[in-house]
Amino acid sequence: MSDPQRLPKAEITELELGYMRLTDAAPLILAKEAGLFARYGLDVTLRREVSWANLRDKLVVGELDAAQLLAPLPMMTNLGAGGIRGSLLTGLALGLNGNAITLSNRVWETLGLSYPGAAPEPLQVVQQLHTQLEQTGQTITLATVHAFSMHTILLRRWLQAGGIDLDHDVRLLVLPPEQMCDSLARGVIDGFCVGEPWNTVAVEQGIGTVAASGYHLWNNAPEKVLGVTQQWHQSRPATHLRLRLAIMEACKQLTELDARENIAELMSQKCYLNLPVRLILPSLTGQFRFSKNDHAVSIPQFHVFWKYQAGFPWRSHARWILEQSEQLLGKTLSNEERHALVQQSWRPDLYREAARWLGEESPSRDIKAENEHGQEWEFEPGIVLGADQYIAVP
Amino acid sequence: MTAEANNRAIRVMLVDDHAERAQLVEEHLIAAGFEVLSTISSATGLVFQIEQHEPDVVIIDLQSPDRDVLESLAIVNRHSPTAMVMFAHEDDPDYIREAVAAGISTYLTEGLNPARVRPVIEVAMAQFRSFQMLRKELVSTRSEMEDRTLIEKAKGLLMAQKRINENEAHKILTKLAMDNNQRLRNVAQTVVATLSTFDIRK
Repeated sequence: MSDPQRLPKAEITELELGYMRLTDAAPLILAKEAGLFARYGLDVTLRREVSWANLRDKLVVGELDAAQLLAPLPMMTNLGAGGIRGSLLTGLALGLNGNAITLSNRVWETLGLSYPGAAPEPLQVVQQLHTQLEQTGQTITLATVHAFSMHTILLRRWLQAGGIDLDHDVRLLVLPPEQMCDSLARGVIDGFCVGEPWNTVAVEQGIGTVAASGYHLWNNAPEKVLGVTQQWHQSRPATHLRLRLAIMEACKQLTELDARENIAELMSQKCYLNLPVRLILPSLTGQFRFSKNDHAVSIPQFHVFWKYQAGFPWRSHARWILEQSEQLLGKTLSNEERHALVQQSWRPDLYREAARWLGEESPSRDIKAENEHGQEWEFEPGIVLGADQYIAVP
Repeated sequence: MTAEANNRAIRVMLVDDHAERAQLVEEHLIAAGFEVLSTISSATGLVFQIEQHEPDVVIIDLQSPDRDVLESLAIVNRHSPTAMVMFAHEDDPDYIREAVAAGISTYLTEGLNPARVRPVIEVAMAQFRSFQMLRKELVSTRSEMEDRTLIEKAKGLLMAQKRINENEAHKILTKLAMDNNQRLRNVAQTVVATLSTFDIRK
């Protein structure tokens, strides 16, 4: 814990912070409800938005001071891909993992996919899916919540890992999270890759069965980040620091199971997720059910908010996300362009600054290797990171 | 298709959950010589609607969750013949600010001359703004009326409680407001809350 009295004075104290109706908004909601923003002298109003496009636009024009963003969005907005151009950066990641891929029960049945029970092996399911699609000559329609998201990237990699041709066997589209379950029930889509609580909602409604958790597709993958504009950061560095500190303290509190149970209660309120607690709890407690008639499986890393340096914006993550996004854009950047974009948008130096105030250790290097560790490991003395394996794409 | 689109009347699709406002926008767009293909609400299968109608321009309420769907058309579905891009005038930095304030966002088919789209946006933005103002006025009239009712109620309770006339009750309220540095409405609210519970207990 740091002493807010010693911090540089905040340039402004009233802030508007945007977020989406998702379980991994937990650190922001906790920081508000537990008075952590107030402890750092900030009067933060949380604004629930209906689209990522809105978060981005309001951030760029200054209607929001900061926002929860999909990890690819700061770089994509710097490129002006999909919408308006704006100079965004992040100095704090808001957690690791949190997604899952769900297929409708109808697809499991009609394609004759055998559900292996409890926690299916993601590769096994997608290989089976591939075989069935080939044999029946069918195609399937799958949805994600945004073109530039970890959801799209993970879903595409899962399909490719199973040998499915993205251009022929499958139709990918985007739907708002709230429309996912309804579209799945009506058969408009056959499956989706979304953040919680929407997979659990589909499971509990008895319309879908989870084929893979995000954690099993890429152990401890980046997910959401705290975004601000370059200009906002430059003119309000002390406010930005206080904001990060408050959220980091919330992330740290969320390592405790008690805190996670409490936040599920708070988030179920009308003004936040407006859903029953039982739909929010499973991913937060890590007692996750893949299928309605199955027992819960323990995935303690379903959401990681603090452990394993979860808040550290690794530039290697940014680089990886950028390369994947280039495939989506159908465009190749030069190495210099990539380097500039990553340096400008992902600011591990800002994380280290905040960690020092909190008296916490942080990595001294910006880059780490991926797909090399099957369990937790020591990156540097005192810096323990989680597993980092991902599903292989041939 | 684009060359053709650049020569005929611009065909617009509206996505708005406020039927009343959508109608206003539609009327004004038609009066200005644009063609309105359809007016739809969110969650009615935007992708399908776009494929079917092939609009040149989509005007969408900022509060519609379908914006992310629109933006994906150019990216996820690369076979899609209907790639739409957001209208974001790079030479006009105030445009996005204005649009966000009005609560509107605009997408156009790739290749369409943006200069031809600007008048469409002007018309729609003007209607969004006047609708916004109308609602604000409505809300403020409503709250003024509520204030007055509340103050009357507080006066009535004071009069009954203290056996005083209306004038004296009004003086008590204004003095309370001044002493506590509060609005008359807030004082009235406290008085009503306190005296009503008092009544119940009695």
